Amino acid sequence: MISFINVNCTFGKKAGVKNINFSVNGGEFIFLTGPSGAGKSTILRLIYMDLFPEKGKVIIRNYNSNNIRDREIPYLRRKVGMVFQDFRLLPDRNVYQNVALSLYVSHYKTSEIKKRVYGVLNQVGLGHRVHYRPSELSGGEQQRVAIARALVKEPVVILADEPTGNLDPRVSIDLMSLLNKINKKGTAIIVATHNYSLIQRIPGARLIQIDEGEIVNIT
Amino acid sequence: MTVFWFLIREGFKGLIRSKYAGAFSVIIIAISLILVGFGYVASRDTLFLVENIRAQFDVDIFLHKTASSEEIDNFAALLDSMTEVRNVHYISPENAAVKFKKEFGEDIFDILDYNPLPPSFTISLKPIYRNLVSVESIASILSNKPVVDEVKYRKQFLILLEKYQRIVLITVMAVFAFLALLSIILTSNSIKMTIFARRELISTMKLVGATNNFVRWPFIIEGTLQGFIGSCLASLFIYGIFYFLNNYLQTVIEYKAIVSFRFYIGIVISGSLLGLIGSRRAIRKFLK
Repeated sequence: MISFINVNCTFGKKAGVKNINFSVNGGEFIFLTGPSGAGKSTILRLIYMDLFPEKGKVIIRNYNSNNIRDREIPYLRRKVGMVFQDFRLLPDRNVYQNVALSLYVSHYKTSEIKKRVYGVLNQVGLGHRVHYRPSELSGGEQQRVAIARALVKEPVVILADEPTGNLDPRVSIDLMSLLNKINKKGTAIIVATHNYSLIQRIPGARLIQIDEGEIVNIT
Repeated sequence: MTVFWFLIREGFKGLIRSKYAGAFSVIIIAISLILVGFGYVASRDTLFLVENIRAQFDVDIFLHKTASSEEIDNFAALLDSMTEVRNVHYISPENAAVKFKKEFGEDIFDILDYNPLPPSFTISLKPIYRNLVSVESIASILSNKPVVDEVKYRKQFLILLEKYQRIVLITVMAVFAFLALLSIILTSNSIKMTIFARRELISTMKLVGATNNFVRWPFIIEGTLQGFIGSCLASLFIYGIFYFLNNYLQTVIEYKAIVSFRFYIGIVISGSLLGLIGSRRAIRKFLK
């Protein structure tokens, strides 16, 4: 489903990634680990094509980084859910509106949007917080909204970049359980983290270790 | 249809969500259009005034005292046939004497025993011929006619008018162009600021798979609305100032600003277009 073939992507003197090769199959749970600045986020950005390789190619289903057109990128992103450490929720919209945005951009009908948003918010345990603004929610709840926003469009993969970076350990564990639950239903998950204790929470997950932009170990 | 209404709703809501940045943008658009509006009326009336002065320019043609009525009729026919001439006014010696009395307060027959005033014509020219080159050439043609004694016109007046009209025209155009340019720059920058304040929304929309068009439309609708509101405020302000000027300041200044409804419609359309084009240009930067 996702393939990195001899991918190089650097930003001048700043860190990037070199000679990256790996594949992800549908329904897999993968941890990208390594110290800060190792290149974990770069790999995620290459997947949702916010960055493009200087050498090699990234293939996500039918999309190839070498020949994808600008206008095709939104369609790729509708198949890829994203969760960030800083949540990236819109502060002037409530939970429902934040999640529904994902579906409006994909031209869903209002009735379908309503059904899906309520469904996914119940799934992440936020059915009772529909009309709250992000500022009225705890960090863990905000991250659940971000997961709901990623999940509502039924993506083939969810990319989570340090999703527990701003959360306390107990909430982090809950969140990983939620991602695990989602994965069990068939959605591939790729989590970039430097928190090794989280990795142990998902038995059977594959581990890709990165250091200084290169893969040092794949299990 | 869901998407259509979503984009329209987002455009309207954006205006409220942008709060101070949006309000600032509306005020900037209003100020810009007030400047352009007043600039336009001032330019128009200045040019109109100059044209009015020029319209008062006449050429006087004095015929020989001995000219027969047939010669006078033929000459009148000649003047009528000239393409440069707009109006021909004949002044007989008798009428000239009446005019003399009216202007100088004395009867010519009391000063002299006879009427020395010759028959004459006063002609006004069509607007495009009211310039030094044309007038000189017309005067030279007419002077050569045997029946004509003298052709008189205010040459110095024409020279001064041409000199100052050019200066006035250039100044007025430059001021108006400057104001129009200023309004475009101010509007574009203030809309850019409004959009910059919500770059987070743009990046989130793009992350969840919005196409550039989808991102663009709410901002274009919002920009157009800002332009519309700003231009309505500008129209109200200009109307208020002119109303005050025309109704309460007539004793102080001898100027009446006549502005049609079309002028205000023009302001509103210009404002809305400024908002539309400004937001379209501004959003482009954030979609790269």
